[in-house]
Amino acid sequence: MGAVWAEVKENRQVGEGVFRLALGAPAIAQKARPGQFVMLRVAHGNDPLLARPFSIHGAAGDELLILYKVVGRGTRILSQVRPGETLQLWGPLGRGFDLSGDQPLLVAGGMGLAPLAFAARWLRDHGRQAAFCAGLPGLAGWEELTRGLEAELAGSVALAWSSEDGSLGRRGLVTELLAEALAAAPGSKGGVLACGPMPMLKAVARVCEQHGAACQVSLEAPMACGLGACLGCAIPAAGGGYLRACQEGPVLAAAAVDWERI
Amino acid sequence: MSQTVDMAVTVGATRPLRLKNPVIAASGTFGYGLEYGAQLDLAALGGFVTKGVSLKPRDGNPPPRICETAAGMLNAIGLANVGLEVFLGEKLPKLRRLDTAVVVNLYGEAVEEFAELARRLSAAGGVAALELNVSCPNVKAGGMAFGCAPGPVGEITAAVRAASDLPVWVKLTPNVTDPVGIARAAEAAGADAVCLINTLLGMAIDARRKRPRLANVYGGLSGPAIKPVALRMVHQVSRAIAIPVVGLGGIVSGEDAAEFLLAGAAAVQVGTANFLDPAACVRVAAELEVFCAGQGIGAVSELVGGLAA
Ligand SMILES: Cc1cc2nc3c(=O)[nH]c(=O)nc-3n(C[C@H](O)[C@H](O)[C@H](O)COP(=O)(O)OP(=O)(O)OC[C@H]3O[C@@H](n4cnc5c(N)ncnc54)[C@H](O)[C@@H]3O)c2cc1C
Ligand SMILES: Cc1cc2nc3c(=O)[nH]c(=O)nc-3n(C[C@H](O)[C@H](O)[C@H](O)COP(=O)(O)O)c2cc1C
Ligand code: FES
Repeated sequence: MGAVWAEVKENRQVGEGVFRLALGAPAIAQKARPGQFVMLRVAHGNDPLLARPFSIHGAAGDELLILYKVVGRGTRILSQVRPGETLQLWGPLGRGFDLSGDQPLLVAGGMGLAPLAFAARWLRDHGRQAAFCAGLPGLAGWEELTRGLEAELAGSVALAWSSEDGSLGRRGLVTELLAEALAAAPGSKGGVLACGPMPMLKAVARVCEQHGAACQVSLEAPMACGLGACLGCAIPAAGGGYLRACQEGPVLAAAAVDWERI
Repeated sequence: MSQTVDMAVTVGATRPLRLKNPVIAASGTFGYGLEYGAQLDLAALGGFVTKGVSLKPRDGNPPPRICETAAGMLNAIGLANVGLEVFLGEKLPKLRRLDTAVVVNLYGEAVEEFAELARRLSAAGGVAALELNVSCPNVKAGGMAFGCAPGPVGEITAAVRAASDLPVWVKLTPNVTDPVGIARAAEAAGADAVCLINTLLGMAIDARRKRPRLANVYGGLSGPAIKPVALRMVHQVSRAIAIPVVGLGGIVSGEDAAEFLLAGAAAVQVGTANFLDPAACVRVAAELEVFCAGQGIGAVSELVGGLAA
């Protein structure tokens, strides 16, 4: 009911300008599904005013994990919050990934790792097979995160990296890994699940269409309520009109989105 | 704190609307109410106002539609809504079952559209009051907002008054030089109350990209940043007219609500604060009760217009 106060358990830098936040939020953690998000107030009081949307990066017992990058004022303020302090949030919100497909192919670019790492762990925990292509700028500054993920997923989810500078996995864009994987497994039964910057998602949607693979993308839009009420988070819909990123999304079928109008 | 406070208020005399408490969720920030059903007990609200309903559904403006500003936000949603048919068929049947006052906000592009909406909403049953959003563009007058001059506000109010027996609340825009003249026009045409303020027209710029932050360039400013302007207008208008004023603009706490009541509002609405906490309206009402008890006030209605001279 309404926003809950959660104690900050951990708020630690784990990559280049990237922090992992652990919150004591049992009611949210217990309901969280991969691809869902929370609205989090980064400060008390009226400034910054609005809550920020963040994907759920993990949920273990009473703890909720968020993986965030410092990009502006709100995330900078958030990065200075200390363990023991409290923050307000509500959720879990939105429609997450449909993980029912057999052997899905997960594709993450940059902070797209946040929801997809949760999806990969969820698949592992349910004894499912999956492949995971993840792209980062490079290894420098990301060692802890990449090693951690490799260790967690070993033996269940096949993880392949790409990096812009070639220091991690293959040099190039994650969409190149995706194109290869789809060429090797035409029609990719379980479909593609993707999250990352908008240009990457556009490319992913195009590659999937070329290979006839079903594709789900997690999209970002500015949000105020996160509940479907304010209509601030409009995503242009295929066939006209708009979808609410917080309600019909944030995970949408790539075919439901009008990529030309984005 | 054992003293109980009578939190009920009545808005209007000819067609009175009794509310459990003076806190109403504001239009456009509370969807059709149902979106908040899992977030708070809707029956604990004085009432809520729906997103503005028009005859035809509207998609709204291209994104980005919202952006944050200092202690406030801008929105240019573009009056997106499901349209009257879907509202009557899918939303209203669920709203009728709620134990709270459901106020329907409506707008049209011509006077006749306001009247048509009012007639059909009244006939449907289950609506506690109509709130007319006159801040929308008047298509026949080249797109200038109806609410910018007394003439069109009077015309719309009179047309709706003739089409409905429900309480008619006219929601005024603050983007005018003379809010009193416009409020008087609404009163003379048969309004039961006026609500103010709607959002203040504003703009935000991304200097690095040399672009406006909203696709629509201009948008409506709301939130704590506008509270002083809203209080001034509520004070000004409530002294000049006999019908009640419903006050809003930047309320986030019970004490903010008390300030509006003191300035002359008979009830208040809470908008942007719903985005700080989905249960904000319930908290504001609870805080207002605590405030009254702390001040030794037995009935919240005693606060109305109670500003010391
Ligand atoms: C469903 C969803 C999930 C997200 N998950 C993550 C995540 O797991 N990790 C992560 O680092 N980031 C995530 N983001 C993006 C994150 O919300 C923004 O980076 C953050 O709001 C920036 O806030 P700021 O105050 O630092 O930036 P500022 O630019 O100062 O913010 C100003 C305003 O714009 C909004 N805004 C700015 N960038 C974005 C954006 N990309 N998307 C939506 N609103 C934005 C802010 O919320 C704020 O209201 C997600 C966004 C959405 C919509
Ligand atoms: C996202 C958003 C949408 C709104 N939509 C409407 C609307 O459809 N009709 C209307 O009369 N007012 C609308 N408003 C105005 C609010 O009801 C209110 O008058 C204004 O925001 C000031 O109050 P606040 O500072 O408490 O938000 C909207 C405001 C916001 C922030
Ligand atoms: S964030 Fe308010 S409708 Fe999506």
